[in-house]
Amino acid sequence: MPTLDFGGRKLEVNEDGFLIHPEDWDEELARHLARAEEGLDALTDEHWSVIRFIRGHFEETRAAPMVRSVCKATGLPLKRVYELFPSGPARGACKLAGLPKPDGCV
Amino acid sequence: MAEIDALDARVAALSDADLARGLALFRTKLGPAEAAWLQTCVHCGLCAESCHYYLADHEPASVPAHKLAQVAAGFRRHFTTAGRIAPALTGARPFDRDLVRAWVESAFGRCTVCGRCSLNCTTGVDIAAVMRAARGTLTEMGLIPDDLQQIVATTLATGNSMGIPRADWLDTVQWIEEETRQAVGDPAARIPVDKHGARILFTVNPREPKFFPLGLQASATVLHAAGEDWTVAGEGWDLTNYGLFNASRAEGGAIAANLLASMERLGCRTLVIGECGHGFAAARWEAAEWLQRRPGFRIISFLELMDEYFRQGRLRVDPSRVRERATLHDPCNTVRQGGIVEPQRAILRRCLADFVEMTPNRAGNFCCGGGGGQLSMSRYRDKRLQSGGVKAAQIRATGARIVVAPCHNCIDQLMELNREYKLGVVVRTVAEIVADALVPPAPATQPQGEP
Repeated sequence: MPTLDFGGRKLEVNEDGFLIHPEDWDEELARHLARAEEGLDALTDEHWSVIRFIRGHFEETRAAPMVRSVCKATGLPLKRVYELFPSGPARGACKLAGLPKPDGCV
Repeated sequence: MAEIDALDARVAALSDADLARGLALFRTKLGPAEAAWLQTCVHCGLCAESCHYYLADHEPASVPAHKLAQVAAGFRRHFTTAGRIAPALTGARPFDRDLVRAWVESAFGRCTVCGRCSLNCTTGVDIAAVMRAARGTLTEMGLIPDDLQQIVATTLATGNSMGIPRADWLDTVQWIEEETRQAVGDPAARIPVDKHGARILFTVNPREPKFFPLGLQASATVLHAAGEDWTVAGEGWDLTNYGLFNASRAEGGAIAANLLASMERLGCRTLVIGECGHGFAAARWEAAEWLQRRPGFRIISFLELMDEYFRQGRLRVDPSRVRERATLHDPCNTVRQGGIVEPQRAILRRCLADFVEMTPNRAGNFCCGGGGGQLSMSRYRDKRLQSGGVKAAQIRATGARIVVAPCHNCIDQLMELNREYKLGVVVRTVAEIVADALVPPAPATQPQGEP
């Protein structure tokens, strides 16, 4: 079982780098995943607005939001969301927000 | 991860009764053809270099004949006289926990069921069909990776493979309709929902509304430009069918029935499968077999429809609008398995200034490495990216900056290969290329008040 050493803790992740236990997530971990998984050295306010919205949606519904809701809630154009997260909304943004891997062709 | 241990633990916990039941299930997967294929391999080894797994890792366990032999070993031991009497001489092995592990590794871990080995088999063994028989057996024994089976379960429970609620689907359709209107500058552009009697029912991969709606927008743009009478369905709109990957006829049939029900409910004439390899193969070729009934309407790929528009002169494009060199990926389930080979090429030759084929191509294409449900089975991620190295090398050799892939599953894998192998390409659907190359029709009248 792959683990991620972070802040003195051993966190379980799957082979695609998604957290097994979403409750392990905090914003410090998001910064770490941004560097390690997305090659993002710094997270801007735009990144955080996406990550915090996805996280909040997940905590309420246990599901990833539609990218439509991400754009609506953050006011960011769709193309900007793709620019912000090189691996896209699923493998990029959802992973950084500590969600489990979404189902389907992703 | 927890699920992996769960699968390994389930194999370790198999009782003799479980194994006997598994063997009986396997028996139900075998028709005369499968029984022949399981006894036909002559171990010539020509299949080795036809397989992207073997080309990438050069491990004997990746040779298709080896994978076939794991399944054949159990078949021989239990279903042939020679295998029962002289197992050591015939390569027969009892269907025990070790052999089950080998089946899981061969059929799920090192195979995308792409069928390329079958093309190169000297004795005509359909190795992919045998792998599907093994997968179907394992699935019914509960020995399938959980993340793959989860997608089937989500589809059966919610009607689509990403569990998108109806309100979210309709909200995104409305949004993309508005975006399309603005982009094409025509307030009449629409994405009709549940339009009864429309000529075309257009179906979508849930990945589009959920995360990548620009693909849907491009499709809507093309359908609008062609003046099509079309609709999407409010329910039963998902073209994916992971029953093709878990090889459960019952579950594949139940999922396929969603699309057929939409067609019957809406009374459309033609079911159009959006750009998706496995979804096309499942709806066009497998559904009738799984459900044992013939759909009373035409089922075509969106590639065929777009090609038809061009041949009828319904789309005008300017290839100088997309100038960068582009190449085309052939999804196994659309091309080698599905028989849709030339329409996408005819389209791209009209729309691209610099279109180059990768080598090999058409039915001889290499799988991207993400097929057969590999993209969803995280436990095999490293193998998936390694085996995709073959496709990455093909792409690099073309010098292309755009890779066109008429399959959302391939697109996700190609996006990962792009990062992993630093290819520096963008990955697009065929409809996205057509939409970019479209020449808007001249306005019927001059706008009032313009100089």
